[in-house]
Amino acid sequence: MNWFKAITLTTAITASSAMAEVAVIVHPSNAATVDQAEITRLFTGRGTAFSNGSKATPLNLAESAAARGEFDSKVLSKSSSQMKAYWSKLVFTGKGTPPKELSSDAEMKAAVAADATAIGYIDATAVDGTVKVLAKF
Amino acid sequence: MKKVLLVTAITALCSHSVQAEVNISGFASVMGGKLTSGTGVPEFGLGPTFLANYPTVGVYEDEWTFKPDSKFGLQMTADLTEGLTATVQLVGRGADDFEAGFEWAYLSYELNEHWTIQAGKKRLPLYYYSDFFDVSYAYLWVRPAADNYTWQIFNYTGVNAQFNYQLGEWSMSGNMYTGREDDGENKLLSEFFGSQPVREIWKDIVGGVLSFNREWLDVRLTYMTYLNERYRNGVQVTWDGKDTRRGKFAGLSANIDYNNWLLLSEVNRLTLDGGDFDTYLLSAGYRIKQWTPYISLADFDSEGEKHSTISAGVRWDFHSSAAFKFQFDDVSDDGINGGQVAGDSNAVTLGIDLVF
Repeated sequence: MNWFKAITLTTAITASSAMAEVAVIVHPSNAATVDQAEITRLFTGRGTAFSNGSKATPLNLAESAAARGEFDSKVLSKSSSQMKAYWSKLVFTGKGTPPKELSSDAEMKAAVAADATAIGYIDATAVDGTVKVLAKF
Repeated sequence: MKKVLLVTAITALCSHSVQAEVNISGFASVMGGKLTSGTGVPEFGLGPTFLANYPTVGVYEDEWTFKPDSKFGLQMTADLTEGLTATVQLVGRGADDFEAGFEWAYLSYELNEHWTIQAGKKRLPLYYYSDFFDVSYAYLWVRPAADNYTWQIFNYTGVNAQFNYQLGEWSMSGNMYTGREDDGENKLLSEFFGSQPVREIWKDIVGGVLSFNREWLDVRLTYMTYLNERYRNGVQVTWDGKDTRRGKFAGLSANIDYNNWLLLSEVNRLTLDGGDFDTYLLSAGYRIKQWTPYISLADFDSEGEKHSTISAGVRWDFHSSAAFKFQFDDVSDDGINGGQVAGDSNAVTLGIDLVF
């Protein structure tokens, strides 16, 4: 019986983590569109503007937030430690500053809703009318 | 009038600094190692030695030591707003008995979304890993191969302009710099390749770096030229009767990070006094979750000095901000006509790199 429970539990965990969607969000007034390559550019410090030319301020979730790992692996195709190694190189050579980090989906939503240039991401289930969803991964 | 201006400027800076947001970050490596075998160079009276770091003279010998590759760095960046930042980086290396010094100290001004101007003291971006050599967490191995990173000067004081552009699918970035370095008592030349104090000057430094990046491919071109001036024991060294000599450095690097495969390479040439000093590095790794086993081959070739290193090791990202590394190095010193450096050696190194 125990092994059955274990399998059911494992399946449930696997299924839920595979289904956790990340929503890339911006201010409701932001008319820009983005694809995965452009999001990657903004979150790796290789670009500072949306494709329509308006300024972009990427905002990251802290490592403790569940959606951070999902975003790093699904959107940026890197592990969180690969991203840390990448940013260390830029930070300690004066070539870049990583996006500001926020500790939760709620803080991220508040920050994005308050800044017309912001682009961030949250767990898709946390989306509400205060932000606009540009893409889901 | 000038005094008034100065006072006004200082007051402005001070009142700003009260509001300035200061970011503190840092890195550290604690690495221990020892030789498993070594020939040394009997004709120089040098015992078995693995020269792991040329510029700071980081050497492993028969006994375990933590000095050659251990270091800590602390970076403080003050955001003075409106695109202006001031950064200092304090680095203490085991090879220097952890005596910390300012390795970087510069002002940075963001002109627009593409260009940033910096002035102050920085690291010379010669080889691919030169400017983040101390930040071991940022690369695969315990250290970038010693056979490539052999040059005695690794900092400069001057001006740097860096840029960032998007060309279709490619990201293009790079920088242009000029400056000089005057090292009162150069460690490598004074302590390892000699026994008298050597003042090493690299002046009229002009260089540039151009990088192209696309998804899994990273290509980098580098060029630098400088005038070398040297004083041994206070007496000016001359080359063919001249007080200075010109060095020209060029390099190409290509790195691939595809489907968990890592292929890293660079090839460089320094031309000095009509002689060529050629170096290359080839490395491959394969990422299996947190583990990345790797191998690498590095080579230095000139008229008299010739050496190469084969390395094998593993990086284990056991923590979100720290990595454990274990590496084995096999050095072959094939120097001729007095061009030997430290003889053949085999060594093991292991330890932890972290960033915060």
